[in-house]
Amino acid sequence: MVKTATNIEEEIAAIFSGNTPWVTIVWDDPVNLMTYVTYVLMELFGYSREKAHELMMKVHTEGKAVVSTGTREEMEHDVARLHEYGLWATLQRGDEGL
Amino acid sequence: MSIEKGFKRHGSHSYVAHFDESEKEVLLNLIEQLIELLAERVDHGHEDPLAAMVGITSHDSLPDDEVLRRLLPNAYADEVQSSEFRRYTESTLRGKKQAHAMSMRMHLKSSDDGIVDLDHDNANAWLGALNDIRLALGVRLKVEQNSSEQLELLPPDDPMRGVYAVYTWLGWMQESLLDALMDE
Repeated sequence: MVKTATNIEEEIAAIFSGNTPWVTIVWDDPVNLMTYVTYVLMELFGYSREKAHELMMKVHTEGKAVVSTGTREEMEHDVARLHEYGLWATLQRGDEGL
Repeated sequence: MSIEKGFKRHGSHSYVAHFDESEKEVLLNLIEQLIELLAERVDHGHEDPLAAMVGITSHDSLPDDEVLRRLLPNAYADEVQSSEFRRYTESTLRGKKQAHAMSMRMHLKSSDDGIVDLDHDNANAWLGALNDIRLALGVRLKVEQNSSEQLELLPPDDPMRGVYAVYTWLGWMQESLLDALMDE
């Protein structure tokens, strides 16, 4: 998609005002069952089975996937819930490079 | 052992499995070890009692134990941010994981006939606890480095052979509970 000048200005403004979205990343793990990862994503985020399955496959084949986006506080909450269920998750600023 | 094992869905909100005495014993033993492992770290006399009451602790580094490092991982790639997050959250996380394990223990202990009947929330607690036990065993079995083929070919006198048998059994049971939960 071509970015318009307005989009870029908004993004720059967001970066300087600290509004850059944060992301929660789930990392691949050799122990967690594929069905389990799918189920946890459905339960914690209310994702459809299709969406949860797609994210799980991305984790499995690419080693990691962004599973949620939001404020830093929201992502800290998401990471804590994923850790509660044994998924290997971290959070970072969305512009830190994935 | 009967053939019909693992969890089955009964009605719309009930997930039922039967465990014989030896299976219950193995599970309860693993649960006790997990609960003990998740107990708070022994502090060195400099804990602020008021902070501790609200779940803030002075320890903020990754645990020394390899299993605990997997159960209570860092939340950030950055060490400083991870430590700060850990100070405010690790105690709560330990408590939640212990609560899952205690729920599983309660169901097993209160079942005289070996039949366990779970609702949706109980099932989630079981899944969490089963997964934590599998993560712990997985660290001991070094599943990161060893392929399942290598683990299946462990010699009969290798103590890890029994650990691997339990690990695969727990995975199979977890899968049966997931199948029952997702069967709609």
